[in-house]
Amino acid sequence: MLIKLAWKSTLNRKASVALTLVTIAISVMLLLAVERVRQDAKSSFANTISGTDLIVGARTGDIQLLLSSVFRIGHANNAVQWQSYEYIKAQRGVAWSIPISLGDSHKGFAVLGTDDNYFKHYQYGKKQHLTFKAGRAFHNPQEVVLGATVAKQLGYKLGQKIVISHGMGNTSFHHHDDNPLVISGILAATGTPVDKTLHVPLSAIEKMHSTGHSKTSRQISRPQHTANHDDEHEHEHEHEHEHEHEHEHEHEHGSTNNSALLHNLNSTPGDLIGSTKQITAFLLGFESPLYTLQVRRNINLYKDEPLLAIMPGVTLRELWAMLDIVEKILLLITLAVVLISLLGMLTSLLATLNQRRRELAILRSVGARPWHIFTLLVSEAILITVLGCIFGVALFYALLIAAQSALQSQFGVVLSFSPLSAYELTLLSVIIGAGTLIGAIPAARAYFYSLADGMQIKT
Amino acid sequence: MLTITHLQFTWPTASKPVLNIPMLNIARGEHVFLHGPSGSGKSTLLGLIAGTLDCQQGMIEIAGTKASTLSRSQRDKFRADHIGTIFQSFNLLPYLSPIENVTLGCEFSKKRKQSITSQSKTLEQEAKLLLTELGIDEHTQQRSVAELSIGQQQRVAAARAFIGRPEIIIADEPTSALDADSRDGFIKLLFNQAAVYSASILFVSHDKSLAPLFNRQLSLSELNQGAQYAN
Repeated sequence: MLIKLAWKSTLNRKASVALTLVTIAISVMLLLAVERVRQDAKSSFANTISGTDLIVGARTGDIQLLLSSVFRIGHANNAVQWQSYEYIKAQRGVAWSIPISLGDSHKGFAVLGTDDNYFKHYQYGKKQHLTFKAGRAFHNPQEVVLGATVAKQLGYKLGQKIVISHGMGNTSFHHHDDNPLVISGILAATGTPVDKTLHVPLSAIEKMHSTGHSKTSRQISRPQHTANHDDEHEHEHEHEHEHEHEHEHEHEHGSTNNSALLHNLNSTPGDLIGSTKQITAFLLGFESPLYTLQVRRNINLYKDEPLLAIMPGVTLRELWAMLDIVEKILLLITLAVVLISLLGMLTSLLATLNQRRRELAILRSVGARPWHIFTLLVSEAILITVLGCIFGVALFYALLIAAQSALQSQFGVVLSFSPLSAYELTLLSVIIGAGTLIGAIPAARAYFYSLADGMQIKT
Repeated sequence: MLTITHLQFTWPTASKPVLNIPMLNIARGEHVFLHGPSGSGKSTLLGLIAGTLDCQQGMIEIAGTKASTLSRSQRDKFRADHIGTIFQSFNLLPYLSPIENVTLGCEFSKKRKQSITSQSKTLEQEAKLLLTELGIDEHTQQRSVAELSIGQQQRVAAARAFIGRPEIIIADEPTSALDADSRDGFIKLLFNQAAVYSASILFVSHDKSLAPLFNRQLSLSELNQGAQYAN
């Protein structure tokens, strides 16, 4: 009965209530969005790398190394010498290692040079390994493995040939047209930067640069590979030439159908490392976590060149600690916005209260007790707050849909469309609780009015 | 039906009582006109009878219950069960339909609700019936309260006062906003309905010209012995 009265009375004051409602809805949307983005950003980052004990790169800041090697944010200015990599990966306790060479791009997507260990050992999320949606890992320098987003956005198919440019960004001045790569595999989506990466063998990167416009400083010092490595390399070169002939042949026929494309995959394994002299960074996994600290110490003290080894989990926590204050300020601001919207409701409820003294007197005359009046007014506040929250949640999901793709492509943050989490529901109930408390102020006033006025109509 | 003995009431800030009524008795079904100019303690008396004011001295007995000895919340319940009220004007809640305004008279009283449901009628049926008897036709019943004339609004208010057969109807200047014709018509309807329900009416007004319509006329200033007028 009182709820019905509250509802009708609220409905009767549509215009002012609607405004209050909109303010509450927007503030709720803001709060939910800020919190969701904050949490999803955290989990997106935390899920990007898993199972890796150390990330090693040229000496720079911990966070910079983490961001550049794993998140493709920023650039690593210096490189790690190949022989350092060879030396460190031979250390006791190293279970696996993944070399990473960054710095090139293809149509705005990062190109990552690595070897087959990447597909064997790289883990993300909850220690999940990379899986192929189609095809297989590259096994010679003419092949490339695409991340899910790359394949989807550029419409690339298995077996197709693509050209990778030197340098970052869309507008590279020189393309290595002489160096087309066959798509040998497409990875399943991971929700991490892997999706937006083209993976090529280190040897392909090397080749790109050596046949490019300049024989840069990279070429000046010859690599110091072991003898058998070089042999292997030369041997593979013959194969490469054969393949190139094959590919050109197909191109002349201009066949673009799938079966012809898949024919491109019938290649023989080749050297994935080539004459690589430098890499950007490498990932290490140990047989036991006990080795981590020791090896880390050794790397940080490595004499031949200044290196830095970081533990991704620790560095990620440092990053959060740095961002913590920003997060807290953001949360405070959004909470203040919610509070302001609730105070707006208080203002409008108090402002209308005087006009409603007649209404209260009428209710008193038919036997409503002062606490009925109190309940009525509090119900109205609850009603407005709850409706505001409902609209706010609706707006929030609308915003998620609108902002999702932008956030993912710009910042790599994957927003989840999951229903409201326990935490978010707690936030909402706190808002409703606050609305109820604030509603108690005009309700208490109405209570005392109705005690004092009785049935007398005072206007 | 209503018996008041040795009633005295003093406002907290006043030194002398605004009301001092040694004796007032209204029988069942009696239509009493109580003349009281403004400031004569009229509202105070009605507040005491309705139970929104605490009775400081004396005794008020309504329908066999010593209302003056009840607690505040008991008096609220008692009022809901036994007293129908009609105000000067703007009696209705603007956000309820005329029918909902009428049934509102039963919402806070089980007794009044039961008196209708025991006759196997719904509140809405009873409200429609009362409205029709008071001259609000079906079409008007469906309109919004804001579209009704003041006369129609007062009749809806009367229907709310009568619904569920309370024993006593308190009417506080209900006709002051009406013109002479509709005023007499309204009072006639009020009497008819009171006769059907055998309810007593305490009609308070400063307009002496209405007095001849009633079977008993009282003057508050005569009842109120030795009291100091508030002004």
